[in-house]
Amino acid sequence: MISIKFHENQLKTNEKQSAWFEKPLRFPALILCVMLILLTFVSAGLGMQSYASEGGAGGDSDAAGKAVHEYSKLSDFDGKRIGVGTGMIQGPMVEEQIPTAELLYYNTVADMITALRQGRVDAIALPVMIIRFAQIDNEDLAWVEEGLNEPTETGAIFAKNAKGDALREEFNEFLAERIADGTMNELDEIWYGKDESRKVVGDPSDLPAEKGTLRVATDSSSPPAVYISHNNYVGIDMDLLYRFCEARGYGLEINDMIFSGIVDSVSSGKCDLGIGCIAKTEERMQSVNYSDTIYAGASVLGYLSSDSGAASGGSKAAGSSEADGSGGSFFGSLKESFEKTFIREDRWKLFMQGIGTTLLITALAILFGTLLGFCVFMVCRKGNRAANRITDFFVWLINGMPVVVLLMIFYYVVFGQLSVSGTAVSVIAFTLIFASAVYGMLVSSVGAVDRGQTEAAYALGYTDRNAFFRVVLPQALPLFMPAYKGQITALIKATAIVGYVAVQDLTKMGDIVRSRTYEAFFPLVAVAVIYFILAGILTFFVNRIELRVDPKRRPREDIMKGIDTKGADIK
Amino acid sequence: MIELRHLRKEYENATPLKDVNTVINDGDVISIIGPSGTGKSTLIRCINMLERPTGGQVIFDGEDITEPGYDLTKARQRMGMVFQSFNLFGHLTVIENLMQPQMDILKKSKSEAYETGVRLLKRVGMSGREFQYPDMLSGGQKQRVAIARTLAMDPDVILLDEPTSALDPTMVGEVQAVIKDLAKSGKTMMIVTHEMKFARAICNRVFYMDQGGIYEDGTPEQIFDDPKKELTRRFIMHLRVLELNVDGPDFDFIGAGTEIDRYCMQNTIPSRIQYRIRLAFEELMQQMLQPVLAETPVRVTVEYSEDEETAVMNATYGGERFDPAEGENSLSYQVLKKSVEELTYSYDPEGGEAEASDADTGSSNKFTNTVKVLIRE
Repeated sequence: MISIKFHENQLKTNEKQSAWFEKPLRFPALILCVMLILLTFVSAGLGMQSYASEGGAGGDSDAAGKAVHEYSKLSDFDGKRIGVGTGMIQGPMVEEQIPTAELLYYNTVADMITALRQGRVDAIALPVMIIRFAQIDNEDLAWVEEGLNEPTETGAIFAKNAKGDALREEFNEFLAERIADGTMNELDEIWYGKDESRKVVGDPSDLPAEKGTLRVATDSSSPPAVYISHNNYVGIDMDLLYRFCEARGYGLEINDMIFSGIVDSVSSGKCDLGIGCIAKTEERMQSVNYSDTIYAGASVLGYLSSDSGAASGGSKAAGSSEADGSGGSFFGSLKESFEKTFIREDRWKLFMQGIGTTLLITALAILFGTLLGFCVFMVCRKGNRAANRITDFFVWLINGMPVVVLLMIFYYVVFGQLSVSGTAVSVIAFTLIFASAVYGMLVSSVGAVDRGQTEAAYALGYTDRNAFFRVVLPQALPLFMPAYKGQITALIKATAIVGYVAVQDLTKMGDIVRSRTYEAFFPLVAVAVIYFILAGILTFFVNRIELRVDPKRRPREDIMKGIDTKGADIK
Repeated sequence: MIELRHLRKEYENATPLKDVNTVINDGDVISIIGPSGTGKSTLIRCINMLERPTGGQVIFDGEDITEPGYDLTKARQRMGMVFQSFNLFGHLTVIENLMQPQMDILKKSKSEAYETGVRLLKRVGMSGREFQYPDMLSGGQKQRVAIARTLAMDPDVILLDEPTSALDPTMVGEVQAVIKDLAKSGKTMMIVTHEMKFARAICNRVFYMDQGGIYEDGTPEQIFDDPKKELTRRFIMHLRVLELNVDGPDFDFIGAGTEIDRYCMQNTIPSRIQYRIRLAFEELMQQMLQPVLAETPVRVTVEYSEDEETAVMNATYGGERFDPAEGENSLSYQVLKKSVEELTYSYDPEGGEAEASDADTGSSNKFTNTVKVLIRE
């Protein structure tokens, strides 16, 4: 006679546990959301106020007492803070011309202008072309007539090999023709003009590509040379290059990266040429060859002045900007900011693309990293000396350096000569990073399962393999999952650096938008919120898996499934 | 059924098994007893190869299972093991602990495994706990489930490694009852235990382990009632032994007194017995045996039996026949004789180097004279 009493309260306990388990997650999430929204409003409010006051200020100083500076020569900047671009040529110039100035380095022009607006720097050192272009949107931006240097020539750059030389010849020939027929002057008019409708470059996929496809390295956050508008690469250099490809029968593949990576990309052969306001310097000429001059201009110091016309030489006078128009009310500015960040030029599409890329890299790195980490663990599990040594070495190597350095080593050194896309390199690098984390977590969670469990399994007659999979692993997984979740959140955030290797992920897209709107807070807060949401979604899925792998949360029906309990015997 | 040949197990800093040779027959129920650290657990863990022996062979039904490449899973299926720490699978319910090994290893159907499981849980008195997890059970309950799990594999041999040592004293009984029931079933069993009465009740054979091997092997009657060897006797009688080598007249008697006091403290010997031990030692060594000490060393042992609450002091020495009763110092002899239970002298011309003495004394001295003092409260 078989009799079993079902212990109902036990079943209830299990249910209660799972309900209890999810609840605390909701509450902090709610608090976080509220905090984020508050933060957004506060920062938006502050930002807007300063914009509004600057925009509405008269000639001398505004209500807040902010002084309006008038500079006319470089020596006026003695002891001031000057913003310069990382890897750009203005840094050394400022050091030489104004030795007392304090240099602050920024990655994008947008960051520099934001820093200037926020008063973090007193001036920014940029090529005059970039200042001129930025003036279209920032009427109060002016520059000092006295240049930091003699006008520098900019050109396209090519690899120092036969292929690069041939391409350079062809480009120079084309450039000469266009200078002769006045096209270059026309380009200048278009791109420094107010008429946005003229600032259009064709779609690279429409190019004939009869003679193959050119891989171009460029930085889309360097307007007016290259930038993104309506999800298309535009700008003077881009326009010129497009015309070149069109005329000479090339296709075009754009590798968008940070500016300081362009020269490396071309010299290492990852790209055929580089464009985007690349000034000629001795140092760069050691790595790459330059085309003839596309345009020349000095580097200058830009600063904010309420009266853009008076201080600057040759800047066009303009009417009231859009920002001034709706800057009056707080919600109006917020709406305006939102419109600028997401709606204008279909910028939301950039964010969507960025999200896609970030998710793709994260998801693949999680998938491959988990598999790789698990396989490595399986090989090392039995204590094979050589396998453990090799694994320890690689884990040490991978964990020993900053992720961004590892990523760049992969891109420029390991895969330097191979034509592997930045996305693929990112997936590989993050797979290794994630695998080493998974390996470490497996070692500790499997190690936390009592040795007696394995012994009991052996004593019953389990093989080593089955003892692991049937007895040890099911008990290790509930210990593994919480750490795993943390690693996934860490991973999605860590991918924010892939912009270094020409991948346009969410962060990079935020940078690109900032480079057009010259506005820091809205794109940044938007990017932060999106990261929260993405991490939340991933964590949600992992939570589901976590519930499934915990053997103690199985419903009893699963345990009894398929057993003929001879009904009557069970009470 | 199982034969151990020259079994040896070395660790880096200890060698619990030096050379073990024995044959375990079908149906034997063997208790393995002995002081801690003498390799009892190591022995049974070597039998199912949870510990790989450093040398020697384990022959199981004619097959050498220590041979490299031998499929241990087959042998282990037939040798169940019950652990001191239960080792129930923490992620499975009680019934699954019994079912999963049957399904995984014996390839039984789920229903069949379930039926066996339910039947065995009933046998160990654990019906109604099928769907609890091990961490909800008491120690005694866990161990009973662990025994049921072992039985579910229907092994030919069951090895029990101190099955009640980790239990609360109140739970020892329930587990012992289950093991007793098991012992009657005719399965071959080996059980490492510290519970002498229990061992005696269930087994037909006892291994007393000491000095790196099976020191004495016999029936429970032989081992528990009439052990042949000195160390077995001491262990069985719960004897606590103090040894002193008095090597001459210059011996540090004050130090020896302190040593006796410490020995008495450690073994919670009643103070009256302690007093008499000291008295006996002083009278013997500093009075009666003075003439002997000048010529030959005297070895003194004190044994205290907790069960009988008696202490025995033996003073043995070589040389010619010397009975302290006939010595010059008869006053001392009379004093001592009055205050102790017994004072006897014996002379054995064959003598003997008592086995308990460590080999390091190195003397070929024959201890022919023995003075025995029995002290009772």
